[in-house]
Amino acid sequence: MPAVKTRSTKIAGRASFYLGVIVLLCICLFPFFIMLMTAFKGSEEAISRNPTFLPKDWTLQHFIDIFNPAIFPYLHYLQNSFIVSVTASVISVGIAIFGAYALSRLNFRGRLAINASFYTVYMFSGILLVVPLFKVIAGLGLYDTKTSLIIVMIVQTLPTAILMLNSYFETIPKDLEEAAKIDGLNRIKVIFYIIIPLSFTGIVSVFVYCFMVAWNDFLFASIFFSGAENFTLPVGLYALFSTPDYVWGRMMAASIITALPVVIMYAISENLIKGNVTDGGVKG
Amino acid sequence: MFKVKRETSDGKLALILLLPSTLLILLLIGYPMLSNFYISFFEQPINPEFPAEFVGFENYIETLTNIDFYKSLGITLLYTLLVVVGSTALGLYVAIMFNRPFRFRKVARSLIILSYVTPSISLIFVWKYMFNSGYGIINYIGRDILHLFDRAPLWFDNPTSAFILVVLFAIWRYFPYAFIAFLAILQTISPTLYEAAEMDGANIWQKFKAVTLPAIMPVMLTVITLRTIWMFYMFEDVYLLTNKVNVLGVYLYETAFAFNDLGKASAISVILFLVISTLIIAIRKKVNLNASS
Repeated sequence: MPAVKTRSTKIAGRASFYLGVIVLLCICLFPFFIMLMTAFKGSEEAISRNPTFLPKDWTLQHFIDIFNPAIFPYLHYLQNSFIVSVTASVISVGIAIFGAYALSRLNFRGRLAINASFYTVYMFSGILLVVPLFKVIAGLGLYDTKTSLIIVMIVQTLPTAILMLNSYFETIPKDLEEAAKIDGLNRIKVIFYIIIPLSFTGIVSVFVYCFMVAWNDFLFASIFFSGAENFTLPVGLYALFSTPDYVWGRMMAASIITALPVVIMYAISENLIKGNVTDGGVKG
Repeated sequence: MFKVKRETSDGKLALILLLPSTLLILLLIGYPMLSNFYISFFEQPINPEFPAEFVGFENYIETLTNIDFYKSLGITLLYTLLVVVGSTALGLYVAIMFNRPFRFRKVARSLIILSYVTPSISLIFVWKYMFNSGYGIINYIGRDILHLFDRAPLWFDNPTSAFILVVLFAIWRYFPYAFIAFLAILQTISPTLYEAAEMDGANIWQKFKAVTLPAIMPVMLTVITLRTIWMFYMFEDVYLLTNKVNVLGVYLYETAFAFNDLGKASAISVILFLVISTLIIAIRKKVNLNASS
């Protein structure tokens, strides 16, 4: 029963659809709006009994304060977070490329078993292993070092990185590899000259995934570090939040700057992939 | 069998290429998993200066006879159920909404994913701020604008409201994962299938049941399974938001690092592991049955 749609019902339908999208976005983005606005409010206004949506007096003071080491060790935590996240991601992706290549291209006994075990490990980790990993790290004499977090972050991301890369490699035509082999390239050269360049966007998105996991980790950072010297952003900020003299605007400014690297990286990797894969012909 | 020679040469290379990852995973996941069992039989303080003492099944008995454990298990099951259902349903609904071309779709999609991408710690601060009992915007809206209540509840200090908030937080934070997965699969469904169903006079619900649901079923199964596991051992979000919701992740963490009892914490993680495995098997079986009927 094909309904006859008049012009006005069509317009009404479109309008209600857009209204739905706007309501949805408002709900999704409300906390971000509050975060952003509070970061630009003066300290008094942030704790007013009659909260304002937009700041009465806009100020950049909180952003200046968090980058002032005399007020807030934010820069120090930021640096620690970068060291841990970049190191862990580079190593994890590097190791995963070879592992994923072996799983997607080579014939060997136990391939399926290894694949299945990576998938199992991908599902179970984190809090389930926190006690034994704490003991392993302490046993290795790595307690309260950045190395401890780097190692654990590599292992936390490795199974996923291998599974993700594996599926990217599967999309590369095997003919290309055969042709390269006829031209005299060995397997290792094939990885460097064919596989890595062709799956570059995939590798970037796996890197972003690893970076995000390490950047966001609170659990392991909170048990591996005893002093503020090695604190990454999540533990550092949480420790500050628990003290009585936090300033909301400052915490919001810190939250924004903490989120920025991952959000930017995610946006870039999304666009890279979008540019590579046809979007089903639907443009919007 | 025909390619014995090739297999052996590949095998050697595979061994070399897979060695670093396999070694790391065995060492830092395989070994810890086994050592969890081992530690769970000991009375083991955090400080290595104190010797571990073999206690047999005592950690398990103490855990399984403790009412707090069952409370925590119940809260965790309810939390997992609500978040999995909520985030999957919302993700599917929004994906269906977005499965039609419209202006600014790409921008809207990126904005929706924002909560999923942002680090927990940043989101926790703003939620705590919004729900602050004195000057939070939610209290202002509820009390002064909508007059829903006279006195603002202590949102994160009351077990019931804290529980509702951690569930809402998780749905808000994790539905984009389901949304992305569903949108990707929805875009592969050919519009001709819907047109054919329309020809047969199917209404929206019938079209959803006959065309959409079978097509998205495998993705739905994956989304539900993974989300169930991840929510079941959730620690970070809950721990950072409130100390009034004792999900098993928090219970385990506190047993180990606040109450200085690594052995009992290991016993809890072994139990957790068994419960999750059972859950996964149950989910798989249930959905397989439905799919075949």
